[in-house]
Amino acid sequence: MKLYKKISVTLLLVFIGIQFIPKNYNQSNTVLAADFMTTFDVPENIEAQLRVSCYDCHSNNTYYPWYNKIQPVAWFLEGHIKEGKEELNFSEFGVYSKRRQKNKLKSIISQIKDDEMPLTSYKMIHSDAKLSKKDKEVLEEWLTNLRDNL
Amino acid sequence: MKNLKVTIGILAIAFITLTVSSCKDNKKNHNNNDGHHTEMKSDDHSNMNHDNSDGHHDNASTSHHERDIEANTQKNSSTTPIIDAYIQIKNGLVADSKSAAAKGGAALLTAFSQFDMSNLSGDTHKEYMEILESAKENAEHIVKSPIGHQREHFEVLSTDINDLITLLGTEKTLYQDFCPMANNNKGAYWLSEIKEIKNPYFGAKMMKCGSVKKQIN
Repeated sequence: MKLYKKISVTLLLVFIGIQFIPKNYNQSNTVLAADFMTTFDVPENIEAQLRVSCYDCHSNNTYYPWYNKIQPVAWFLEGHIKEGKEELNFSEFGVYSKRRQKNKLKSIISQIKDDEMPLTSYKMIHSDAKLSKKDKEVLEEWLTNLRDNL
Repeated sequence: MKNLKVTIGILAIAFITLTVSSCKDNKKNHNNNDGHHTEMKSDDHSNMNHDNSDGHHDNASTSHHERDIEANTQKNSSTTPIIDAYIQIKNGLVADSKSAAAKGGAALLTAFSQFDMSNLSGDTHKEYMEILESAKENAEHIVKSPIGHQREHFEVLSTDINDLITLLGTEKTLYQDFCPMANNNKGAYWLSEIKEIKNPYFGAKMMKCGSVKKQIN
């Protein structure tokens, strides 16, 4: 019983302790000229959809949920965002070579089509990020058209 | 007394974590600078796109086939390790083998890292770098993805390798094949070392689908 108590007190202390670790926020006030929305002429509905469903992890600006204030949740999200931006960063899309832009658009289309993106864990919390069948069709069509005309 | 101990403990841990993590802040500034200085428009490729001269795919389809390979290219042996690794991926996909394709992907990364680009200059170097960047990314995905994804990346990789051969040449005899059903019925090319059609996009499901469009060397 004594040991059990010691362990739980330690865990509690660690939990409290890690709350003091400064968080890295993925937020930047400058919109780069290379941003996807600046690089291309994006219709409003498409822009809104991409911002809600993709930009949190795939751009330099994350709209954080309240629970991001709590560790280790914040670390978990930070990991996702870091990984997401490495793979695709809408904020720097214009810097990519034409070849790479085409590749990325192809991957975006197929990830949406195969329901691999947005991530299920993300959709569970952000119900507005879910893409309906119709949403997907509209996105796919617009993105395909963009890609073919690059 | 006990309460005091606990309070001291909390303070101690808080202090330690703050000290340990204070160096983390430095990294952050770094990140935010990325991308600002590399602004540039990269549309120098646009003039060579869309030459669908062979008429096999209409404009609605993706015009991957950026440039045609001359039937006889410049003889260049330096590209051989890259092409061999690409062929290894291709044969892995023909055999429906995820692991064989992944091995080919790793071999391709090695081949690119060992490629000597010191005698490339100007535009050739620039285009090579773009092909390299794209091919590497595709190869990395082929190394770690399930076979469906491997095939998607192989399709784009085929464009990269095709363009690499156009740019630098090869000494190998290759066949440029086309399968109209691949890539969601938009059609896709691949390069093969053998004349016989063995389809990497479908494997055993549709081994014979496709035809030779061009012979190189």
